[in-house]
Amino acid sequence: MKPHRRKKLGIIIFITLGLSAAVGLTLYALKQNINMFFTPTQVAEGEVPDGQHFRIGGMVKDGSIAREEDSLSVNFVTTDFVSEVPIHYVGILPDLFREGQGIVAEGRVDSSGVFQASKVLAKHDENYMSPEVKAALDAAGTGAQGVMPSEGYKPSY
Amino acid sequence: MWLWFAKLGSPKWFYELSTKWLPWLVVATVLVIGTATVWALLFLPPDYQQGYTSRILVVHVAVAGTSLAFFPLMAVAGTITLVWKMKLADMVAKNAAALGAWFSFITLATGSIWGSVSWGTWWEWSDSRLVSMLFQFFLLLGVVSLRSALEDTDKAAKACALLSIVGCINVVIIKYSVEWWNTLHQPASPVSLQSGSANGPEFWIATALMILGVYLFLSVSLILSTRNEILQRERRALWVKEMIAAER
Repeated sequence: MKPHRRKKLGIIIFITLGLSAAVGLTLYALKQNINMFFTPTQVAEGEVPDGQHFRIGGMVKDGSIAREEDSLSVNFVTTDFVSEVPIHYVGILPDLFREGQGIVAEGRVDSSGVFQASKVLAKHDENYMSPEVKAALDAAGTGAQGVMPSEGYKPSY
Repeated sequence: MWLWFAKLGSPKWFYELSTKWLPWLVVATVLVIGTATVWALLFLPPDYQQGYTSRILVVHVAVAGTSLAFFPLMAVAGTITLVWKMKLADMVAKNAAALGAWFSFITLATGSIWGSVSWGTWWEWSDSRLVSMLFQFFLLLGVVSLRSALEDTDKAAKACALLSIVGCINVVIIKYSVEWWNTLHQPASPVSLQSGSANGPEFWIATALMILGVYLFLSVSLILSTRNEILQRERRALWVKEMIAAER
């Protein structure tokens, strides 16, 4: 390779590495701001300032959904299997909302410790299967859980 | 090896070779995308949670994955332009930018439609996967407008090459956004070879075919637009004049 070409290539590589490092450090510093939601454990540990509007992500606890007969009001509990946060929401829930499902809710915690959600979104995990497979796995007792939207969680099978 | 490299950069050589290969590529593209579409619409089983909505993902995953190839492709072409000043590399890079913008747009559109049903929202500004993909769309539009803003072809080529190399950083962010931060968007699915398990072959074969088909489509579009670009930029070259004279 001719010297002037080698020099140009060197400059390009230098610029790329330098910019990558700058962007990498910026993103690392902003990590908490880029995360979409807090987990119930983070909320329980008081990482969220009082009265702040934020998002919470967790599983809908089995058997915790209670709907009111004459309105769209619904109460349920979200959990990461360490801590739990009760949620109250009025409105139409997404198709995938069910017990054992990962959800992300947006709102704030009121004075009685209930998370008043203005929006509830359902998460879908990276596992796709047909209803027959799901039924077979459930019968074998190794059925995949709904997704737990938290770091480090792996479905148990 | 360097002789081969130099030959590859010759627009004339590329034009003649692509004339021979293009019909085969077009046939392969139509066959593969056709098979994948029929498979996805007739044989793909419904997902246990989403039902048939999961069929949108065949297109979404294929186009999204392919859209990540544009910046690396443009960066390689850009490096060749900057270091070796090869004309052909810049012609490919020029057309890749606009095509990449379309791919990003289709990714965002199909993802939005799927999300509106499954997540309950068309768009979430707080999700890093969604926002970094939108950023790639704007960045590609930026490369396109940067080129049309600069009149000097050489200067435009250099500026776009640099922007393409820098844009590769965003591709890494898009790819790992779902692992580095918690997001609404699900991470990439593991592929299971065992039929009848989660993510078994019955789920990913249609998507795998579609990925191959979309890559073929990308090659065909890129070759066609590069051929146009060659004719336009080399219109004063003897071989182009002779070819056009022969066709008349």
